Amino acid sequence: MSFEPIWGAPIAWYLFLAGLGGGAFVTSAFLRWRHPEAVNMRKAGHVIAPVVVMIGLVLLMVDAEAGLHNPLRFALLLHNPFSVMTWGVVFLAAFMVISLVVLVLDILKKHVPAWLEMAGVVFAVCVAMYTGALLGVCKTFPLWNNALLPILFLVSAMSAGAASVLFVAVFRHADEFNKAGVLKKFHFCLPLIEMVLVASLCFITSYNSTAGFESVMGLVAGDWALWFWLGLVLVGLVLPTALETWLLFFSSKEFEESKKAHIISAASDAGVLVGGFLLRYLVVMAALPVTFVM
Amino acid sequence: MARYGMLINTKKCIGCYACRTACQRQNDLLPNESFIKFHEFERGTYPHVTIEHVPTQCMHCVDAPCQAVCPTGATYTTEDGIVCVDHGRCIGCKYCMAACPYGARVHNEESGIVDKCRFCTVSALDGTEMCTCVTACPTGVRIFGDLDDPESEVSKQIAELNAQPIDGDLTNAKIFYVR
Amino acid sequence: MSENAITRRSFLAGSAGVAALAAAGGYMSFGAWEQACADEPETDQGSWSAYTMCNACSSKCGYKAYVKNGRLSKLIASEHDASAQGKICARGYGYPAIVYSEDRLTDPLKKNDKGEFEAISWEQAFQEIGDKVKAIIDENGPEALALVQDPRPNGAFYTKRFLDALGSPNYYTHGAACNLSKASGYAEVIGAGDFSADTANTKMIMYIGRSVADAIKPAHLQGLQKAHENGAKVVMVDPRCNNSTVFADEWLPINPGTDLAFILAMSHVLIRDGIYDKAYAAENVVGFDEFAAGVADCTPAWAEGICGISAADIERLAVEFSQAAPAACIDAGWRGGFGNQYANSGETARAIAVFNTLLGCWNQKGGALFTSGVSAGKLDEEKFPPVPKVEGKKAGSAEYPLASAGMGVNVYAASLAKEGKMKGMFFYNSNMVAGYSNPAYLQECLEALDLCVVVDIQMSETALCADYVLPECSYLERLEVPAFNGGLIPSVSLRDKVLDVIHPNTKPCDEIFKGLAEACGVGEYFPFTIEELADAQLKTVGLSLDALREVGTVEFPEKAFVYGNTPKWKTPSGKIQFTSEKCAAAGYTAAPTWVAPAVMPAGGNQFRMITGKQAIHSHTMTANCKPLMAITEDYDLTRIWMNADRAAQLGIADGDEVEVSNELHTGRCRVKVTQRMNPTAIFLPPAYGCTSEQQHTAYGVGLRSTDYTTYQLETGYGSTMAHEILVTVKKVGA
Repeated sequence: MSFEPIWGAPIAWYLFLAGLGGGAFVTSAFLRWRHPEAVNMRKAGHVIAPVVVMIGLVLLMVDAEAGLHNPLRFALLLHNPFSVMTWGVVFLAAFMVISLVVLVLDILKKHVPAWLEMAGVVFAVCVAMYTGALLGVCKTFPLWNNALLPILFLVSAMSAGAASVLFVAVFRHADEFNKAGVLKKFHFCLPLIEMVLVASLCFITSYNSTAGFESVMGLVAGDWALWFWLGLVLVGLVLPTALETWLLFFSSKEFEESKKAHIISAASDAGVLVGGFLLRYLVVMAALPVTFVM
Repeated sequence: MARYGMLINTKKCIGCYACRTACQRQNDLLPNESFIKFHEFERGTYPHVTIEHVPTQCMHCVDAPCQAVCPTGATYTTEDGIVCVDHGRCIGCKYCMAACPYGARVHNEESGIVDKCRFCTVSALDGTEMCTCVTACPTGVRIFGDLDDPESEVSKQIAELNAQPIDGDLTNAKIFYVR
Repeated sequence: MSENAITRRSFLAGSAGVAALAAAGGYMSFGAWEQACADEPETDQGSWSAYTMCNACSSKCGYKAYVKNGRLSKLIASEHDASAQGKICARGYGYPAIVYSEDRLTDPLKKNDKGEFEAISWEQAFQEIGDKVKAIIDENGPEALALVQDPRPNGAFYTKRFLDALGSPNYYTHGAACNLSKASGYAEVIGAGDFSADTANTKMIMYIGRSVADAIKPAHLQGLQKAHENGAKVVMVDPRCNNSTVFADEWLPINPGTDLAFILAMSHVLIRDGIYDKAYAAENVVGFDEFAAGVADCTPAWAEGICGISAADIERLAVEFSQAAPAACIDAGWRGGFGNQYANSGETARAIAVFNTLLGCWNQKGGALFTSGVSAGKLDEEKFPPVPKVEGKKAGSAEYPLASAGMGVNVYAASLAKEGKMKGMFFYNSNMVAGYSNPAYLQECLEALDLCVVVDIQMSETALCADYVLPECSYLERLEVPAFNGGLIPSVSLRDKVLDVIHPNTKPCDEIFKGLAEACGVGEYFPFTIEELADAQLKTVGLSLDALREVGTVEFPEKAFVYGNTPKWKTPSGKIQFTSEKCAAAGYTAAPTWVAPAVMPAGGNQFRMITGKQAIHSHTMTANCKPLMAITEDYDLTRIWMNADRAAQLGIADGDEVEVSNELHTGRCRVKVTQRMNPTAIFLPPAYGCTSEQQHTAYGVGLRSTDYTTYQLETGYGSTMAHEILVTVKKVGA
């Protein structure tokens, strides 16, 4: 009997969107710290965060069919304090509440207290890490069951979150976008770190067990190889790094602020978003369980 | 109070699937919902071949990973050591499926509930002997009983045949295999 | 509540009756009685239970079926049923799903001029079929009518009676596509078509092409296991390392179609070394010398070159047999090795009967037994008017004189339609077109008929060829006549009605054939109900329908088998015939000698295609059953099996898709690359390749061996030679 992946695209979307929301919120907080003038970009992050997390949660609930048919059962989600999922629900709930409050304050044009934003950042990071830990505690799947995964998902979440804010800014708030140099530099670093983490994950997992080896082989040379190399590595990691390297280090200030550069930058951000989703999707789909009977 | 467990003697198993369809019928499962899975091994080279069929199902682990990850408490262990699913609490998140090292969890396509072998506690309520797979097996592969009772058939056979859990002490499983 | 629900009141009344009977006649075993009482559940609204018998294969295992809220619930196998012995197989538990299948036939159907089926009333169906039957009889005589059925209790009684009443001798079982050669070959030697290995006491048993762990009758499977656990030597001779080898000491991967050479060589050793039962042979055998002369050249070295089993192994096994004799035998087999497979199947059966005779094992403890039987006595002629004996010979009996008279050569009867000699055919519980021989050919045959009537529960490939399709209610929705079973202790089991009829416009077999008989003008032979018939039959053995309903199975211990007696050989000479004049007349040697199979694979990418059984299916019957087909899907069981070395030579890896083709058919499937296969053959799992779109679960899944079969019949015996197929296999895209 061949192994069928336990989760599919909806859960990959959920993991991606939860991370993306967290990353977008953290990006807003970062802007408040380093680019206080980029008010509109900050607000964009505040909008993106709860909306995408909400979409992710809806996908999660649709995927959890038995709960979908009996919604009251979702109330039981806090039952088991030892389940990572229970903690995820706590983090997601807290994050949703804070990010919605922040959004409402923005809409009412009221001041968002720094402590509230800080609390939001803490839960945003928790949510992003949780998406990795959720998979990470499943001992049966070597591709998941390692300490790298939560870090990788965290970095990817921050990268995707920043990309989403920059993507919106490049079209709606070009002036603020042009000035957000520090954010861009940080954002530039993230895919590089991610590349190192993905390589480490593949390398270490392939040595830890037969199932780990086969999972990694599935990614780099098997059924998922096309998606892995073209989608994740090329479009999601190499392309953004290359484009941003060009824009940040090898082009003039004038060009950097030109329409053409903005489109290139948007393409790079889109690449990061595609890569962010594919990372979750491939990790969810390619993981094979350890053989327990031989 | 008992501590229920099972012995599966693969030396007698012919891989006929009777336990699967019997379990499905008696527990009213969907056609593609099976609590029992089969692993077939052939060893040696032609014509010196031996074959082994290993049926697996929920191992009713003492350290049940499915129960540990279940966020709603739908998975629980009875006083008698049977790991059960409370259908009324399951949201179908499939986390237990990901956590179970034995692939023993099955997603019901109609209800969305993730279910598994229950040592036939459901039909036990109507007076049926426990474990349809045990009574259905045409070659007597399976023995069910109380592991705490040294006089039970299952305890005696486990001792005599040196039966072991399928994957060592991975989860403190309560199904023992003779291979 | 159903009319057959066992109420506490009726149960008590019934029990008193049975108890009295048991006390008086001692007919019923106490175990069965106790079991029946212990299992009795609380009877509440919509919940009841009844004893019935499985219909997923012809073994008919008995079980008690429980109904909850009007729907079938759990099944408990009958402890004392002859086939079940307390167990039913995967098919038994899975097959009841067919009862609730959305593919069930619900109304009588008639094929219109456009070739489409349209629903008609039973009255119209009976009327039109009756008119056509009468017209055929008027014009061509009753010999232009034939009927084919795969025997079950009701089918065997009603279809035979119906055909007898019409005056036609052309009554056929599925045998020519199953066990005809085996039964016919044995009959030539020992005057009986079957025997039972005494597995409980055997010291050595050899199975040839039969796997009781794949074609499961629980009683047989338990017999094998018991032999193994008792320390008997169990030898499995099969091109495929089947699942029964779990309980075997040796697997001999014989080249398919060469079992005869192997048996002749073992016989050669016994005779050459004088280690056969000389006294037994001298007393019981005619034609010994002729046989001995015939096998004088059949040395183990000669056989090795044909069958692929080493001369040393052949020598050794023959000696081991002689040492274990008389508590030893070659198992009777059924379909697998020589039921209908090769050009030499009938002669293989003869050789096995001869070999067992050399062991002197007939009716010896641990040997091969002709167990006891029991049957219904004479019925009241007023109520059950006897049908006049049909004169005339079954079509095909002249062309295939060795074919068992009880079975006949079904496909030959169909082939006569093409010559205009067969005008009308009935099929009951038979899917001839898909399962017996080449489907395209058989379809042409049926299309040449003036009248083709199929009685079934779903649209089989045969039903697709019919002019009229009559929907039967399923096996769980009808009462049948009692099944009298032979065995060490003979018994009778009942298929009672378990469920209320699900589709109101379906009818049970008995009502369908009674209706047909009335419409054909021979209704006077059916003036009784199934209840009356069953009760009357049971009364002749001191039981009653009500009594049997309470316990499901009743044993006849006073008729139990006794070891050691020499049976009365029902052969022309009254002895065991190593020589047969009939065989000689049919073109064989009088004593069995080597006959080559019809075709031999050339190697390269050519293989012989063989089939067999998987424990979850019975030919085309079960393929449309969801719980069973789900297993096929889960474990990719439509794959062909190929020897690993041959696969490597052809660049085929496990799971690869291949194209399997010959001059008749080309199809694709995946490959199971295995060490468990003889290199000269591929094994194609049976049951698949359904081409009836109205079987939504089965349609289009896997390949069907009959598509690769030429319509060809074994000389003299008339079997379909199901393994005389050559195919080439190549990797798709290679």
